[in-house]
Amino acid sequence: MTTAFATVVALLALSAAGLVPVVATVGTRWVALPLLPLAGSVVAGLATAGSVSFGGPLLDWFVGLAVAGALAVFVVWVVRPELGPWTGPAGRRKGEGRQRVAGAVGFVAVVVACAWTLRGLKTPTVGFDARALWVMRPGWFLQSHGQLLVDLRARGFVIGQSAYPPLVSSAVAVAWRVTGVHTARVGVTTVALLNACALGVAAVAVVDLGRDAAVRLARRPDTAEGDVPLRPPAGPMVAGVVVAVLLVLVAGGVTEPFLTNGYADPIWSLAAVGAVAYGLQSGLDRSTGAVAAVLVLVAGLSKNEGLVCALALVVLLAARSVGAAGLRGDRTRWRVPVVVAAVEVALLAWWPVLMHAIGARGASTAFTTSDGVAGRTSAVVHGMSPYLHVLVLAVPLAVVGGLALSTVRRRAGVGNDLWAWLALAVGLVAVGGALVTGSGAIVPWIRSTVHRITEYPVLQAWWIVGAWGVVALCGLARPRPVRQPDGDDGALASSLDGPVLDREAAPAHGALG
Amino acid sequence: MTLVGVVVGAVALVALGGQAVRGNRVVGAQLSARSVHDASVDDAFYQCLDTQAHSLVRPGQTVVLSTDNLADVITMIKGFGSWVTVADPPSRAQVTLTLHDGPAAPGTCLGTRVVATTVGPGGVRVVRLGTGAQVPGQGPPPAPPL
Repeated sequence: MTTAFATVVALLALSAAGLVPVVATVGTRWVALPLLPLAGSVVAGLATAGSVSFGGPLLDWFVGLAVAGALAVFVVWVVRPELGPWTGPAGRRKGEGRQRVAGAVGFVAVVVACAWTLRGLKTPTVGFDARALWVMRPGWFLQSHGQLLVDLRARGFVIGQSAYPPLVSSAVAVAWRVTGVHTARVGVTTVALLNACALGVAAVAVVDLGRDAAVRLARRPDTAEGDVPLRPPAGPMVAGVVVAVLLVLVAGGVTEPFLTNGYADPIWSLAAVGAVAYGLQSGLDRSTGAVAAVLVLVAGLSKNEGLVCALALVVLLAARSVGAAGLRGDRTRWRVPVVVAAVEVALLAWWPVLMHAIGARGASTAFTTSDGVAGRTSAVVHGMSPYLHVLVLAVPLAVVGGLALSTVRRRAGVGNDLWAWLALAVGLVAVGGALVTGSGAIVPWIRSTVHRITEYPVLQAWWIVGAWGVVALCGLARPRPVRQPDGDDGALASSLDGPVLDREAAPAHGALG
Repeated sequence: MTLVGVVVGAVALVALGGQAVRGNRVVGAQLSARSVHDASVDDAFYQCLDTQAHSLVRPGQTVVLSTDNLADVITMIKGFGSWVTVADPPSRAQVTLTLHDGPAAPGTCLGTRVVATTVGPGGVRVVRLGTGAQVPGQGPPPAPPL
């Protein structure tokens, strides 16, 4: 079996595991396609945690969890048929023709851009950490339970990162077991495609941002047009597609060579960016919330920095949902976000708690003040600064946008920018905090890792820039009346030729919108 | 507001476009002949070590990696850490694996050879050299990005 064919088989196996839960929670949307293998990799990660906790082969756990998840979904569909995919995505209006076209075109454009970005796979690179950890541990995960515990504990094995979250290595282990091809190269290509899926989801979020903005703009009757039904303007939809494609290419530059050499940094960074895009920057509904929930799990189960960031994102996502529901509202309205957050925290905490419990190498963080917190903090700030120059662009753009375009942003249904900035700050603190409180010599540590551990804040800043680009073009779009049967309104395509409606729209997402 | 929207939109798109072009170049740099060569040598080196280790360790034999040289331990983990059966405690290991780094020679992986030490009947130490693969040239292989 060739590497390419084995990778395809592996992605199909992962997708099969994620199929039913994703369709049940996200619905039949374009974004569900790249989300399937990511959800499957979450199942693989949890299967590894189950295997380490209770014994049993990884593949048995993987299949068992996938089947159990599917059965649970079917039971829910039987008990509550209104939650089935046949009723359409919850909270989403049926798109108009051009909105559907924009979605399809945007998805295809993102897929093509992602494929173009993956051309680095032509070079058969297996990264240093990939070979030493990410595509080495899968072999452990496929050994017997007793031997796996030895592998994770044995002090002579010196690799202190053995206790790192399991998702990447688990996905590779499933790939190896399903295909029978136990090579580092298959591991790298599988991880690279999962990276591309995470990138694709984050980019499709921007496509959806533009599509949803167009629909929302058309919902507001123009004061000049009265209650005449409005056609979604094309401008925001085109902007969403263009910005999404550009962001894919930008992300390729930020994450290479690690996007295609088996490292775990890109997948957690891109998943976190996607979670913010769907959970904090987009309009709130069950479908977008489900996408964000899956991506949070991907980020948190992939790497320690991703875990810290994911836990913070859980809090932010729940806070936004609760804020939208209203604390003074019916308790059932905020019970769901709180329960979802609690389940996510439990799933995310399972692996690190387990590693502590079994005494795995590297499970205990070694805090140090050997170089002094001030000195380490200074070194971290100076080390990271050259990689964060995008903030010089993103901060003023967000300030100007926040001051002048907030009305447009709310009307377009785009979340308050502060949420995304909070998420970015959390990512910076997570990475910086790990460096400051870690035990390694700070200067060489930063020099050897800073370009990849800053991927998340850099990408997040670019996504913020992209969101403001879409919002700005929303401000220039003017919905036109839908052509009436007698055809006397002369409405054609929407245009970019007029100012946005002046009427103040009600905030769509509560206090922080 | 329209003017601000134009400015914000233009700045965002121009910046994204410029960075996209730069990103595209970064990805393209992965395809240089040197990158391909380095990756191929690196891959061949570790496959060579893997093959030699397989020639020395029977399935199920417990192994300990010699910790005399930390860099060699990392190299061994990268080469065959995924499949060896690690002994716990190390004193019960049936095979001790180490690397012998020397000049380029036939039967070596860029000058490196996997060496197995076992204790035979009567407590006699038996040293065997890995076989089955070789990579000509002098190591270490080109360092991949960290």
